[in-house]
Amino acid sequence: MPGIKRQMAMVMDLNKCIGCQTCTVACKTLWTASEGMEHMFFNTVNTMPGEGTPRGWEAMGGGFPGGEAQLGKLPAIGEFGDAWKYNHEEVFYGGKGQDVHLGVQGEAPTWGPNWDEDQGGGEFPNSFFFYLPRLCNHCTHPACKEACPRGAIEKREADGVVVVNEDRCRGYRHCMEACPYKKIYFNHVSQVSQKCIFCFPRLEQGVAPACARQCPGRVRFVGYRDDQDAPIWKLVDKWKVALPLHPEFGTEPNVFYVPPSAPARFDADGRMDESKPRIPDEYLVSLFGERVLEALQTLAGERAKAARGERSELMDLLIAYRWQDMFGGFDRDPQTIKWVEA
Amino acid sequence: MKTFSTDHPLASLLDPAGSPWSAVAATVVALDGTPLAMQPTAAVRNSWRDRPIGAVRSVEVRALQSADALAFHLRWADDAANRDHGDNTVFPDAAAIALPLHADAPLITMGAPGAPLTAWFWRADSGNQGFEVRAEGPGSTRITGRTVQANALWSDGVWQLVLARSLAGEGTADSIALASGQASRFGVAVWEGAHGERGGLKAFSGDWRELLLA
Ligand code: SF4
Ligand code: SF4
Repeated sequence: MPGIKRQMAMVMDLNKCIGCQTCTVACKTLWTASEGMEHMFFNTVNTMPGEGTPRGWEAMGGGFPGGEAQLGKLPAIGEFGDAWKYNHEEVFYGGKGQDVHLGVQGEAPTWGPNWDEDQGGGEFPNSFFFYLPRLCNHCTHPACKEACPRGAIEKREADGVVVVNEDRCRGYRHCMEACPYKKIYFNHVSQVSQKCIFCFPRLEQGVAPACARQCPGRVRFVGYRDDQDAPIWKLVDKWKVALPLHPEFGTEPNVFYVPPSAPARFDADGRMDESKPRIPDEYLVSLFGERVLEALQTLAGERAKAARGERSELMDLLIAYRWQDMFGGFDRDPQTIKWVEA
Repeated sequence: MKTFSTDHPLASLLDPAGSPWSAVAATVVALDGTPLAMQPTAAVRNSWRDRPIGAVRSVEVRALQSADALAFHLRWADDAANRDHGDNTVFPDAAAIALPLHADAPLITMGAPGAPLTAWFWRADSGNQGFEVRAEGPGSTRITGRTVQANALWSDGVWQLVLARSLAGEGTADSIALASGQASRFGVAVWEGAHGERGGLKAFSGDWRELLLA
């Protein structure tokens, strides 16, 4: 992208995500704990196949279908899954003992940010699911930025991180309509659009984003897209096993996924049928494009190599023996920094 | 349009249903949607191609001038009042009176570089706070002052809005200075929130109209 010196990127290995939501909570605690942000999760983890958050986001439109910029749907707060209200006060301090129990107050919710957790797809005994963590893709062709008539969204020159300038934003939400990943939220208190900032204040101090650093699954690699000594470039460009989600949306994401390898299927007699994977190829192609099949083959080949006791650079990278090596040099311990609240 | 002078204090002009307004003849201004080609981004142009822009088709404008203030009264039909951002999916209704800050400021593009205009702006979620804004082209609008007073009333499918400010303004280049006997020009814009109108998506008066101060 013109004007961008370097681009930060992330790779997530879907074979390792355990759906624990540590990333979600790390982000929530750090960035979206203020008033007006109750329903916001800049990072979400949903079960696939599933409708996710906002509900049915994959079909909400936006992006550049056929190369033309389009506005999609504006998701309502309920489609993201509003912050449910609980009777904590009454239960813990109300003096009512066992007479009251913790529960959602008001109207029963019909959706949440992780409502369809672990439902997945397929028919028993060939049912399957995997977790898909998502954040803003800090796209090279950011539909959000290009749709904003006020130029309120900036792609930072130094690292390609896409941020909303809240002083320019007037709450028109064209970004929210245009982002095909539906990764923009509207703050009804400050009346501006808000989104993932790839923890840029941490990056500036050499610290990886909170979602990546806190991940107990060693799922997330971080670093400059073009750093040939670091895992991102090796996984995306050298080994070609990390792919963008929904490349057909046309925004050129800078978040990439190592696709999930599935066990084999059971046949009608309950025997393993090694010829077919449990997760249908068509489904993965629908998420990551045709190139996913090649990536899965490479992964299978290298895994077999490692199983034979041979050395595999790819497997070593994905295992991430030293977790600090996952961060492309952004491995400084945040505890060594004195942070001041602006 | 001529403004009428009045002895009523500004406070009584701020009531959109107040008696001072009933005696004032209205100028009916026909409104048109802003042209698609003027929308600054491709995403907006592509997605509004088959959608009519400018839901409100006409507005009655009145103006009263006290010793030191000018008040505009706008009245237009709207089936439902949208007072907030309606759970992401709808937008607050809004209206504005534009005034030129430069002789060559084009209204259709919200001014041009070097030829700014100003507008007295009200949005249904901002209560009695009106805004003075300045623009030098599409998407360049910024708030420059908060001394515009606004008061809006919706009933039976009609919005009535008063926008008022001191004649002298704030004494800055962004704040138009008005005086008795002066000839200026004005434009009107109305945003229908239920129709997704915000920013450059609005109904407007097409070109400047004459404004003669009493
Ligand atoms: S994912 Fe959406 S919000 Fe993030 S840069 Fe891309 S288009 Fe913009
Ligand atoms: S913290 Fe890591 S393992 Fe846990 S849900 Fe997030 S990406 Fe998956």
